[in-house]
Amino acid sequence: MLYINDLTKNYGSFTAVNHLSLHIPEGDLFGFVGPNGAGKTTTIRIVCGLLRASGGSVRIGSTAAAVGSRAMKRMIGYVPDFFGVYDNLKVREYMDLYGSMYGMYSRDIAKLTDDLLELVNLSDKKEVYVDTLSRGMKQRLCVARALLHNPSLLILDEPNSGLDPRARVEMKELLKNLHSMGKTIVISSHILSELSEMCNSIGIMNHGQLITAGKIEDIMQQVAGGKRMHIQVASGMESAVRIMKEQAGARIESVRENEIIILFGGADEEISALIGRMIQEQVVLTGFYREEGSLESLFMQLTGGGEQ
Amino acid sequence: MRLRWNPIVRKDLQVTARSMRLSWGLFAYETVLTITFLLALAVIQQMSRGFYSGSNVYGYLIYLFPALSIAQVCIVALIVPVITASAISGEKERQTFDIMLTTCMSPFSIVSGKVMSAMLRILFFVAAGMPIMALAFVVGGLSWSYLLYFVLTIILLSLLSGSIGILCSAFCRRSITAVIISYVFYFVIYGLTFLPMLLRTFFSRNGYAGESMLLLLFNPIVFYEEFFMQLMAGESIFGGDGSHFTRSEVGFLTYHLAQGRVWMFLSAACIFLLAFLFLLAAAWKVNPMHSSSGRRRKER
Ligand SMILES: Nc1ncnc2c1ncn2[C@@H]1O[C@H](COP(=O)(O)OP(=O)(O)OP(=O)(O)O)[C@@H](O)[C@H]1O
Ligand SMILES: [Mg+2]
Repeated sequence: MLYINDLTKNYGSFTAVNHLSLHIPEGDLFGFVGPNGAGKTTTIRIVCGLLRASGGSVRIGSTAAAVGSRAMKRMIGYVPDFFGVYDNLKVREYMDLYGSMYGMYSRDIAKLTDDLLELVNLSDKKEVYVDTLSRGMKQRLCVARALLHNPSLLILDEPNSGLDPRARVEMKELLKNLHSMGKTIVISSHILSELSEMCNSIGIMNHGQLITAGKIEDIMQQVAGGKRMHIQVASGMESAVRIMKEQAGARIESVRENEIIILFGGADEEISALIGRMIQEQVVLTGFYREEGSLESLFMQLTGGGEQ
Repeated sequence: MRLRWNPIVRKDLQVTARSMRLSWGLFAYETVLTITFLLALAVIQQMSRGFYSGSNVYGYLIYLFPALSIAQVCIVALIVPVITASAISGEKERQTFDIMLTTCMSPFSIVSGKVMSAMLRILFFVAAGMPIMALAFVVGGLSWSYLLYFVLTIILLSLLSGSIGILCSAFCRRSITAVIISYVFYFVIYGLTFLPMLLRTFFSRNGYAGESMLLLLFNPIVFYEEFFMQLMAGESIFGGDGSHFTRSEVGFLTYHLAQGRVWMFLSAACIFLLAFLFLLAAAWKVNPMHSSSGRRRKER
């Protein structure tokens, strides 16, 4: 669907996007992750035709339309990381304004507006002034606006920034909904937990470079050092620690009064064998649980722990 | 294809119609016109009473028309750049400009839509001032068709000042700077067009002006002088009955252009062309595909 090839953007001597190549297949809900200043917004703005690339190319679908061309713009719905409002404009008129900017007729826009506002749950706000809406509502209105011309690719730049938890859930539901309707969606965000619940593939970016991209399960597999396990021990701590030290592939992260935290990359059988050994050696286990491999830890590893 | 409003024009008119600014603007405009009218009337009465007491006051009433027109021309020339100079930078400040650029609106239609909406807004004012103008016409004894011509020149002037404003708006990040620069720009245009003539008078001894006046075709003030001269006296500022130039004084082109009403119409065309060029330049500047650095709004 979206092919980014060798994309580069320089600001003077500073390289914001560095030879980025990325393919997002049709129907994907793609999460675009990276710390502040990674170059996500820059990449998105280039794709949307708001910024000229220093090198490389962007292509959507099978068309050869150039970035910034009208054909390309028709295929993209863009929700920026800010929300611009006009005072004195009602929701209905706001939709009408942008619809007519795509060359649509008011009658068609009116019909579509009803459907879209229903989709984003704003039907009752049709006659309300845009600048009086709450942030979450504005954000959803922005999504509705971006869908007006029925784009095949929807790009959202940090749709969740500044939203309260409830609004985030609503936004997430909306995006899942759109995804199930067959739209290809790209979301940039820092909030990884939300992306991992929602997206089916992600790309991680840092210092203008794409570090890794792919299906979310595949990426999770890459969590180096294995998964973190918490083992609660009532008695026999010494033997437990000894067993862990002997176990190949396991690394003790911390030992507390009655809990050992280890990183272990072994398969399920090895884990059960490990537990079996501890029980054999009279270690009294009171609890055991495995942390889900978290995107956060992966992210921290890959981006070297934060901002440049 | 149906003919449709530029969406920006429609939106701008809708938004301004709801704001208090329109009401206040209208109020201020009418007030200025009324005061001008009264002042002009007072002056006329003084004149007709002074030297030749008992002379006919109606003979002087024709001066109401230029007085009111000049007042309107000044207001238009001063207000339109303010509206358009804040147009692009205002959209940028409101952060709606990027969204606009991602739609199918071409940069030129964005820019011209902005100028058009400013022109329409000022034409509301002019229309509201029509009754006073009509009065000045009737008592001044001028033909109705002149009123139409006057409105046409106002449209032309608002197009020029609007496109100067939008050009500055495209280049400036902040609205205030854009407004100031467009005023400066304005005076630069007025001044520059006189430059060849000045240089000529300083450096040539024989008083031969050559074609040094041709640039004045682009000067809106000269255009208006000519316009009023044609209207009031039926002759050109370059002299009655064709031209007072002799062929030895000016170049071939100037000599012929100064005949009849040629200068006026040609000047109108030149000013229109200039405005169009400014629009093109603004559209070029606004197009993100043309500026390699891609200025971005400051982070919140
Ligand atoms: N107009 C500009 N001129 C110079 N440098 C810029 C400009 N715009 C962005 N940059 C730089 O490019 C880099 C990438 O910025 P970008 O906005 O793409 O990051 P981001 O991944 O979207 O970050 P965030 O998560 O904060 O939104 C940053 O280091 C930024 O300072
Ligand atoms: Mg960003």
